[in-house]
Parts: sequence; C-alpha cells; structure tokens
Amino acid sequence: MSFQEIFIQQVVNGLLLGSFYGLVALGYSMVYGIVKLLNFAHADVYMVGGFCSLTLLTLFKDTFLGNSWTGIVVSMLITMVIVGLLGVVIERIAYKPLREAPRLSLLITALGVSMILYNSVMVVTGGEYRAYKTGLGFQGISIGSVFVTHTQIILTVAAVALMLVLHLFITKTMYGKAMRAISMDLDCCRLMGVNCNKIIALTFFVGTALAASAGTMAGVYYGSLHFFMGFVIGIKAFTAAVIGGIGIIPGAMLGGLLLGLLESFGTQIPFIGSEWKDVFSFSILIIILIFKPTGLLGKKESERM
Amino acid sequence: MKENQVGVQTADTQTAAKKVNTLVQITDRLYELFDNIKIRFSVLAVALAVLLYLPMRSSMYFMEVMTNVWFYVVMCLGLNIIVGFAGLLSLGYAAFFAVGAYTTGILILKYGMSFWLTLPISALMAVLAGLAIGTPTLKLRSDYLAIVTLGFGEMTRLAARNMAITGRATGLVGISRPYFFGLHLYKINHYYYAFLALAILSIFVSYRLMDSRLGRAWKCIREDEDAAEAMGINVVAIRLYAFVLGSVFGALAGSFMAVKMTAISPDSFLFTQSVNILLAVVLGGMGKIPGVILGAFVMVIFPEVFRGIGQYRMLIFGLVLLILMIYRPQGLWPDRSGTISSKVKDKTCKDEVI
Amino acid sequence: MKKRLWIFAFVILLILSGVIGCSQPAAPPSGGGGEESEAPEFDGEILLGIMVPVTGSEATYGKDMENAMKIAADEINAAGGVLGKEIKFTLGDDGCDPQMCTAAASKLVSSEVVAVLGGYCSGATIPALKIYGDAKIPFVITAANSTQIIDENPGWAYMINSPGYHQADAASDCFEELGVEKLAFVHQGDGFSENLAELTRDEWKDRGHEVVAYDVVNKGEQDFSSLVTKIRSSGAEGVYWTAYHADGALLIKQLRQGGYTGEITVADGSSSVQLLEIAGSAGEGVYCTSPPVVDFLPKAKQFISAYNAKYGQEPGPYAGLAYDGVYLMADAIERAGSTDPDAMREALSATDNFETLSGAIAFTPKNVLEESNFITIKGEGGKWVLVD
Repeated sequence: MSFQEIFIQQVVNGLLLGSFYGLVALGYSMVYGIVKLLNFAHADVYMVGGFCSLTLLTLFKDTFLGNSWTGIVVSMLITMVIVGLLGVVIERIAYKPLREAPRLSLLITALGVSMILYNSVMVVTGGEYRAYKTGLGFQGISIGSVFVTHTQIILTVAAVALMLVLHLFITKTMYGKAMRAISMDLDCCRLMGVNCNKIIALTFFVGTALAASAGTMAGVYYGSLHFFMGFVIGIKAFTAAVIGGIGIIPGAMLGGLLLGLLESFGTQIPFIGSEWKDVFSFSILIIILIFKPTGLLGKKESERM
Repeated sequence: MKENQVGVQTADTQTAAKKVNTLVQITDRLYELFDNIKIRFSVLAVALAVLLYLPMRSSMYFMEVMTNVWFYVVMCLGLNIIVGFAGLLSLGYAAFFAVGAYTTGILILKYGMSFWLTLPISALMAVLAGLAIGTPTLKLRSDYLAIVTLGFGEMTRLAARNMAITGRATGLVGISRPYFFGLHLYKINHYYYAFLALAILSIFVSYRLMDSRLGRAWKCIREDEDAAEAMGINVVAIRLYAFVLGSVFGALAGSFMAVKMTAISPDSFLFTQSVNILLAVVLGGMGKIPGVILGAFVMVIFPEVFRGIGQYRMLIFGLVLLILMIYRPQGLWPDRSGTISSKVKDKTCKDEVI
Repeated sequence: MKKRLWIFAFVILLILSGVIGCSQPAAPPSGGGGEESEAPEFDGEILLGIMVPVTGSEATYGKDMENAMKIAADEINAAGGVLGKEIKFTLGDDGCDPQMCTAAASKLVSSEVVAVLGGYCSGATIPALKIYGDAKIPFVITAANSTQIIDENPGWAYMINSPGYHQADAASDCFEELGVEKLAFVHQGDGFSENLAELTRDEWKDRGHEVVAYDVVNKGEQDFSSLVTKIRSSGAEGVYWTAYHADGALLIKQLRQGGYTGEITVADGSSSVQLLEIAGSAGEGVYCTSPPVVDFLPKAKQFISAYNAKYGQEPGPYAGLAYDGVYLMADAIERAGSTDPDAMREALSATDNFETLSGAIAFTPKNVLEESNFITIKGEGGKWVLVD
C-alpha cells in the first residue's frame, strides 16, 4: 500500500470509529448539559442496546424481516424505544430523588446504576461473549488497495444521519428549545412554566436511545457482544464530549470524529504502536483540560463549581 | 437527637423514625459507657492484644484474609481522605497503589535497594503522580476529576503493561523479601503484623488530619465551597493536599503489597480494584474513620464467607450502593456529627415529624 | 465523641474477627463422587486441592477443568482408590487474579491438602508456586504454561501442558508449511500471550524469516480497523494471534473485512469453537496451534461420553489435561507408596512415559514436559478439524 492509500484507509477507519464515539458522546453531553450529571451508566446503556437488538434480531430471523438490513433496522428502532424507556426509568428511580443532593452522592449513584446494569447482563449471559450473527457479508468497494465494505458505509451514513436528526430536534422543535433553556437555568424554567421533569425525562430518553443505536451498530459491525464492552467506549466517548465541549451538541459530534481520526492515525505512528493508543487519547483529555477545559467549541465559562 | 433522622419520605416514616431513635438510644448508652476512660483503655488494650495474639492460633488462610483486611483498611483510609474528607470522587485509586508497588518492585529488583529505603521514594512518586493529575483537574468541576482519575487509572495500568522497566504484561516477578532488624519477613504472619502496624498508623494519621487545621478546611469546602472560598481558604490548594496525601497512603500500601506478593502484574490494578476500594469507603460512611474500617472489613470478608454467590456479588454491591445513596447517604456507620449528607438531610427533614 | 467511635470500631472488628476465626475450620471437601454407585470400602482419604478460577472472566475454563478432575477421581475411586484410600477434592478459587490466587493457595495449604492440581492463568499461578514450595506440596499445573513459571518454580511444580517454546515451534512449523515468509504478530498484552508472541517472534527470526509487524491490542477494545490497515500496509503474509478467542474472533473478522487475504493462525487460547462462531465466514481456513483438545484424541472417546453424561455438555479445551493430571498424581502417589511430600516429589520427577489421553508424560530436570503435545487444527465449516 502506498502512503496515500494508507492515509485514506485510516481516514475511513477513523470516521466510522469516530461516529460511534460521537453517538455515545451525545448522550453524555445532553445529560450533562441539562442535569449536570456525569452519567456513568450511559456506557452500559450502549451495551444493553447491543444485547437488546441481538435478542430482537434473533426473533426476527425466521420472519419476513430476516437478519439482513431490514431486520437490523427494525430491531434497531425497537431497541431505541425500549432502551430509551430504560433510560427514563433509571432517571426516575436513581437520579430524580437525588436532584438536590450533593454532587458526590449523585456520582456514586450513577456508578451504582452502571454496576447494576453490567453485572445483571453478566449474570444473564454468564460472562460469555455472544456472537452477533447477521446475514451480511464482506462485499465492498475497493479503490486501489483502499477497501471499504458496504456495512461500513451504511453504518457511517446512519450514524451521521442520526446526529443530524438530533441536531434538528434540538434546534427546531419546542422540546429542543425547552432542553436548551433548562440547561441554562433550571429554576428559571420551572418558574416560566416549563414542565422540567418531563423535559429531563425526554432528554434521558433521547440520549439513551442514541447510545442504544450505537450499541446495535457496534454489534452489527464487530459481530460480538460482551457485558463489559461499554467500559472502554464510555471513557472514549466522554473524552470526545470534553474535546468538543461538554454540554454542546455539535461539539460531541466533532469531538467524536476527531478522536476517532486521532486514534486511527495514532496506530500508525512509528515506534509508538497501537499499545499506546488508549494512553494517547487519555493524554489528549488531560491536555484539553489543562489548556481549554471548556472544549474546542465551548465558550469561556466564568462559573466554577 | 432530631438531627439523626434520615429522610425517608414514606408513609411509615414515623415507625422508621422510632426504630432509628431506639437504635440511637442504644448506641448512646454504649457510648456513655465508653466515656469512662478506664473502660475505654482496657477495651482498646484487649482489642489490640487479641489482634496481636490472633496469628498464634489461626490458620494460614485466615491470616491471609486478615492481612488483606488491614491492607484494605490502609487503602480505604487513603481514599477516605480524598472522597470522605475533601468530597472529591476519585475512580482511579488503584493507580496510586500501582505507583507504590511498581516503585518498590523496580527499585528492589533492578537496583537492589533495601525495601525500607524504597518507602520514601514510593511516597514521593505518589506525590508527583497526585500533583500531575490533581493540578489540572482540581480547578474544574469535581465531575472532571472523577473521569480523569478513571482515565488515569487505566492509563497507569496500560503504561505499566507496555513498558520494559515494569516487566510488561507479566509484571515484576521474584521481588526479594525484606529484613526487619535481622528478621527475614517471609511468613504470612510477619505480613499480618506489618499491615496491622501500617493500618494503626493510618488510623492515627487520619485522626490527626481530621482534627487539624487542614481537616477543618476540607470539611468547610465539602459543606460549602463558595463560603469556604469567601473565608479565604485556597480551595484548589487544599483539595490538592487531600488528593496528594490520599495517594501517599495508597502508594505505601502498594509498596508493602509488592514485597508480600513478591510478584506484581498489571492485572492487580484493574478498574474493579478502584471500585472496590470506593465501595468500602461509601459503604461504611464517607469521612467517618470507624465506618471506613468497617467498610473495608465487609468488602474483604463478605466475598470470602459467601463464596457461593460468586458472580452476583458485584450486582448486590451495586444495588446496595444505589439504596444507600438514596436512603442513607451517610453510610452504615451511625451518624454522630454533621457530615457530607447534611445538605440532603436539611432538604428532606424540614417537613419530617419526629 | 470521636474517640468513642474509635473504640467502637475496634470492638466491632474484634467481634467480627472472632466470629470469622471460629467459623473457619477446614473447608468441607467437595466432589469426591461415587455417591450413587456402591462405594468401595476405603482406608481413609487423600485430599487433593484444585486451584482454578471459578469466578471472573475465565470461570468457564476453570469449572470445566474442575469437572474433568472430578470424573477422573470418580473413576479412580471406583477402581479402589489410591493406596486403598479415597481421593477427595477441595477447591481454591484463584479467580485468575494474583491476589485471589495467594488467598486460594493459602486456603488449600491450611486445609492440609496432599497435593494441588490446576493453574489456568499463568499470572495467577506464579504467586502460588512459592507458597506450595514453602509448604512442600507438589503442584501439577494442568494448563498454565508461561515460561516464567519454569523460572519461578522452586521445584515443587510440574507442568503437564507444553510450555510456550513448544508452541512457538509448532506455530513456526505451521507457517513454514503454509509458505509464509513475512509474519505479523498480535498479542493482547497479558503475560501469557505476550510471552508466546515473543518466543515465536524470536523463533521465526532464528529460522531466517522476516517479522514485519509486532503489535498488541488492549483487552476489551472492539475496533481493530486501524491495526488491520497497519498489518495490510506492512505486507504481512501471515498473522499469528497469540491471545484468546473472544478478541481473536473480532480480529479475524476485521482482518477479512479490511481486505486482508493472507494466512491467519491463532494460538491455544483461541482454540474454543466460539472463535469460529463469532468470526462466522471469516473463520474459514484459520489455523490454530492447539493443546491436546479431547475432540481430537482417539483415546478420549470414553472420557467425552462420561463428561457428557455427567455434565450434559462438551468438555472444554483443557479438560483432557486436567483429567490426565489427576491420573498422573494418583500414579505418583501409588509409586511413592505414601503421601510423604518428598517421596511424592521424587515419584513425579521419576515419571517415565506415563500414558495419558494426551500422550506420554515425562519431565525434564526443570519439571517441564519433554515432548511437545501441540497439534494443529483448522477451521472448516464452523468446526475445528485436525490437520495432519
């Protein structure tokens, strides 16, 4: 492979990885923007989404939907609804009673929810890896020695489309407006007659549904699921959210794509090798926090907690 | 007395409150008993004597578990300074344990240094690591610290796994065991005493810290950061103290662990290790030293006694954590003085009937 | 006030330690067996320790090994036991974690076992070597095979799985036969897979071939696409994956997805059939240097059916070796004539081509198998088949 070909191939790899990060990062960012909570359970919701869609896909396998694209799309949509509702339930049970509590209690609760989620999946699956069987093959397009499968193209497009839909939802609808208002000042919104509980629940629904869709896509693309698969991507997605500016929706997308590209090229750096890839992305997180804690798209923030 | 009620806003709050009241009364009686200085010292002396005598009568397995308990006590007291005293969430505490263990391991194996000389160096390394992580993040919201420490924990493990000096994935093997005034420390009982001594030292230091000017500053920041700043407390610096001091505890425990195990590998410093330590602190009660000790005890003993529940263990812990945070954020240990949770209490207790 | 709390802490600790200290006498031996059949008369019992992970990520393999050992013990007991005594087991769970491993080893020593069998994760076997050595307890390691164990062995451990350098040979042979010249290595950054990757890399260089890539993936990571591009751009004709099946399957799938067309061989940690299941069509034609898995051993038919009958599932990759380990130990005790530690150790060292399911066992002076027991298998139609 020539240098240009390696470059293009790594860009392609980075874009797909980055769009997964972006989808998960969106959820972190939305929830953080509105209730100022670092939702540790978010990464596990991604994993639950993967398992949920696998169950559905297995059910659909013998129906007219099949386990090819139709089946995958249908199961992904249903998964998004189911897991989105799970997100709302989590908010109701675990976070809502603590809305006025000190931040530390809230963070520990989030950690508890995360443990409950991944450990219950572990108990159900017996800690084993599960094969995510689809009817998709390895056909693709090759230009020179650059090779992209159809699956990769479709998934990247789908991820970007979801992000755009979310962007429109936030900027063009009343609900989106309410969300933006709450992220600025919750008490004030309450006084203005915004049904804050409803909007917060909606935020959790949307954020969680996006993570579930990312989980489904990861299952389709990588072909296996595991109860701890959310852990690494959770940290990465958070990094992505911080890079772009936490609480800022386009920032999460930008951060995700940027981190994906950085990681892909990180593997190619001579003498460093892919073993340092994760160290590399955490270092970026710390560097960003030192020099621009509000993120690339963030505005200067004078408030400090 | 009224202050002791926990906010459970259910229909049977009244009965619950009564129960808590009786419990508090009983413990109060016991406390009064201990007010007598003679009784207090004799109980302490007996307790210490039993703990010192324990190795003579117990099996090797039991000593191994007890050694682990003391080890956890040290780690938990260290994390307690960060989480309990200063109110910062650290999710990568195992990293400091790793820093200590690796520093000692490398110095003994590669440079043939005496174990006792490596202790100050490993404490120094922990200080440096604490500063490196704390300085950029402590200026920000406390949430950032949680995720950065989580990242740092993973980073330390990965770095240890990928560097030649830390023995890569296999880690360091064959760390020689130290001599203590001519006595070769090689039996589990020796390490039991070593960790017991370390634990008692940590308890002592923790109490001194809590009652010090620094301790009051921590408490002040924890309860109301803005007010603390207005009173002229340098919030960032005081938090940094907590973070660094806490990491020194972890590093020292790690150093002792390195010689006890004689082998260390990156797998000992997984995220779950950090979570376990945090759980112990939260379970017993953040900021309360006896509570933290109790938490460490439960975390070590529980899985040993209930081997059967195996994989349900962490699930149960997760549930306990959730319930604890919602209904009893101050932990299992009885609450006697104003703590971290007073804010919740104030909110929920206003309309409580006693 | 605070001082009183302090005292309280001590009292509670005291009570707790008292309670636990008292409730802790020798763990009840589990297993044994033969409850249904007419038990022969035994003249006492021989207590053996099993040290395997039965919780944590490697629990499946640990339980599988434990099951296989119980079958062997049942058979030996049904035939009259060892020295007229009944074999019984007690379990120590190492959880594949070094710290849990020392606790498990101490527990076994405290329950006064005669010998110990097991050891799956190399990382969680090494710390136990010293403990058993100090307690003079022979330890037959039935799966762990990192070369580090050989260096750290105080003389009481015996490895009946071929060590890494045997596998490095087997892998090099495999690639040479496939006509590969440029080889890429990928491991997972744990003690075992790194050790094997290094050994094979050195062997491959010694044989005068080229190593074009040597890389590691982080455990739990899912996306290897950038690594795949790196491997493709390095011009590798073969890839040797030295770690475990779950991530191996992901790598194989992504290698094929990324347009890699060369040979792929995986090491013994990936010999599970789940690898082929997850990898799907990408798993076709993948080679594996495998430990003696019972499916491919002609002598193991009876063991497989016994295992199936008792546990209702297929034996796993290390079941055969675990089963062999019990027979080896029983034979050694029989030859030693007693359970005296030194006599047992001498008997184990003197083992001379003891016939087992997976081949004849004889030890080198370093307590390692003399002959390699590796076999090469290949993925075909979603199943492993033996390659001659």
